[in-house]
Amino acid sequence: MSGSIDDTYTESQVIMTTVKIIAPFTLTYGLFMTFHGGDAPGGGFQGGTIVGVTVLMLAFAFGIEPTRQWLRNSFLAGLVTGGVVIFGAIGLAMVAIGGDFLEFTMLKEVFHIKPKWGLEAVEIAGISLIVSGTIISLFFTMAAGFSPDRPSGTGGVSGVDATDTPDSPNAEVSDDD
Amino acid sequence: MSLFAYTLVAFILVAAVATALFRDVLSVIIVFGAYSLGMAILYTFLLAPDVAMTEAAIGAGVTTLLLLLTIARTTRPSTDRLTERIHVPAVVVVGAFVLVLCTAVLPEMYAVGGTETPVWSNPEVTQHYITETYNQTGVENAVTSVLAAYRGFDTFGEAVVVFAAGVSTLLVLKREVFA
Repeated sequence: MSGSIDDTYTESQVIMTTVKIIAPFTLTYGLFMTFHGGDAPGGGFQGGTIVGVTVLMLAFAFGIEPTRQWLRNSFLAGLVTGGVVIFGAIGLAMVAIGGDFLEFTMLKEVFHIKPKWGLEAVEIAGISLIVSGTIISLFFTMAAGFSPDRPSGTGGVSGVDATDTPDSPNAEVSDDD
Repeated sequence: MSLFAYTLVAFILVAAVATALFRDVLSVIIVFGAYSLGMAILYTFLLAPDVAMTEAAIGAGVTTLLLLLTIARTTRPSTDRLTERIHVPAVVVVGAFVLVLCTAVLPEMYAVGGTETPVWSNPEVTQHYITETYNQTGVENAVTSVLAAYRGFDTFGEAVVVFAAGVSTLLVLKREVFA
């Protein structure tokens, strides 16, 4: 199964070199856009997308399977669900200090800080995590594709997959060097 | 609108028609990426940098990558012909329909940037956000303040929709891990 995930991968010096050069810049740009969403164009949606696209670029250049091994499933699931939970928790925290759901003006009245910080917290810790996590997971899920013979409820890992996965990424990594 | 903007609109129209007409799926994805990039530049021209960034990142970037991945994972029918076969009666009917709509609707639309547009002629609503954003929320980007503060609950719903998209992909592909 894991062999068929990467059967479309061809090692290209041009793509690998290009991605090596641009990836740090796109990652920085994505983070900049996320953290400066309040005072410049951009925000959590755009910044999170660009951070996610950086991982997609790495996967295209160095193979999907090694990238997927590097970013664990629990990490991606944590990003996506954690973002939703943090967003909701920030909203409920405003209820806890006496306001309405996501009423950031309460920050000014209770803690005497700008409502801006509540807004930035939602953008950075909520939206950008959800968006970047979802884009990376969509990519990996679609790369894995549909296998109708696999029964649901097995955790997505059949016996063949579990024995195969440790071998193929190592072979892939040694090719790379 | 400058000459550059009109050239851009022409480029976008050509790319859109090419997307509909090309027969080869790979060519379609490439011209669709070009279409998205043109739209992103056009949004910058219309002074909407936030939308432009979203279009460039999602439309030109992620969508192109996901579509490329999809044709890599499925079969790509080989073909000799460059374009799709055009069904003339359908084109005539749809074209006439669009033409009637255009003649009825377009004269009623406001000029781009005109001061009589509802956006400007309703100052109680529009100007409120422009003038009060910094005092009320402390951020300088009015788009972000509307997104995350004034309409924070909507954005919470949007974020959950994005989350649901990821989950439903897993459901459709009958998987429980992102692998």
